[in-house]
Amino acid sequence: MKKIIQNTLLLGYLVSMLVGNTMAQTPTVTASSSPTVTVDKDILKLKEKVANKVSEIRRKNNKAVSGFVVSNDGNTMKVNSDGVENLVKFDDALTKYFKILGTQKKEIKADDIEKNDYIIVSGIIVDNVITANVVLIDENFLVNSGKITEVDKENYNIKVLTSDKNTYNLNIETYTKQFMVNIKTLGIEGVGFSKIKEGDTVHFVVKKIGNPPAGGNNNYSATKILIIPQEYFIK
Amino acid sequence: MKKETIVAIFLGLLFGGILALVISFKNKEIQLTKSKIIAPPKEKNVPLNLSGTELQFFELTEPADRTISENNLIHLKGTAAKDSLILVQSPIKDLAVHNLQEKFDLEFPLALGENSIKIVVYPKEKQFRPQEKSIKVYFIDSEL
Repeated sequence: MKKIIQNTLLLGYLVSMLVGNTMAQTPTVTASSSPTVTVDKDILKLKEKVANKVSEIRRKNNKAVSGFVVSNDGNTMKVNSDGVENLVKFDDALTKYFKILGTQKKEIKADDIEKNDYIIVSGIIVDNVITANVVLIDENFLVNSGKITEVDKENYNIKVLTSDKNTYNLNIETYTKQFMVNIKTLGIEGVGFSKIKEGDTVHFVVKKIGNPPAGGNNNYSATKILIIPQEYFIK
Repeated sequence: MKKETIVAIFLGLLFGGILALVISFKNKEIQLTKSKIIAPPKEKNVPLNLSGTELQFFELTEPADRTISENNLIHLKGTAAKDSLILVQSPIKDLAVHNLQEKFDLEFPLALGENSIKIVVYPKEKQFRPQEKSIKVYFIDSEL
């Protein structure tokens, strides 16, 4: 009986060794039978890896700058970005030009870009020189917030003092979207001008045209306002 | 001398001694309560614990300013004071959120091109000033 058990165990061990070795050898057999296929697969994998790495590096180096056009000679362009002047170089084969119209974009030519246009340039930036991949003409919006210090009910105008101590005169036009935060639900609801009070907090969006702004003295027509009533801060 | 006398003397001395000790201790206590304390008690020197009123600093970890996005949605991630009101505004979207936990993760839509986004945190404790950050995110789709 003892011998039977011993033999069974020995046999089992030998069988497992044999099966294991056979399975381990299987890829080698395949590889040796079709070496060209394996090499081709390896090359394809390597190519994919290189392509991915290149696109990753391109994406990493790709940066964007936005600002107002100072000059454009068709080959290069000077752009004022928050007081810093950048030189944009165009590449005939590479650079693409678009104008953003709402949610759509329309392809344009380099010559269509004019002085005071607000543009976004995407490309590789080295010492304020940008080799442009894409140039987009867009609209420039200012988004800010502050306390309402004055409400002119006759002229539909509000004065806003921001945290950086700037005063903005905002005209509330018929197209201005007016919203208010519901202090109970924190939902955003439409509101009329009559509900706006001095002391309320306002978040506003205005469209800037040209640099410095065409209106001067921080006078803008508001695109959108969002009021947080002062009651929110009292509760 | 009689035996009773000796016992009486002994008990008298014992009683007298105990009484003297009690009187002297009582007298000390009365003096301490009546006298003025010059040095403040130790407990009063312990500094006030202000940790309850300290404000969590508003931090925006994602996205970085002037990020290029290939999608028309981004996640604004960071930390702000618990129970504060977070207000996010861009030309295309307004968002008001009650920050239940310190960490926040808000999905926010992007318009094609430049997106100026302003995030303001209004703390629950009104004695603190709002904290704000402004970023620009560029949505340039992958076809470009």
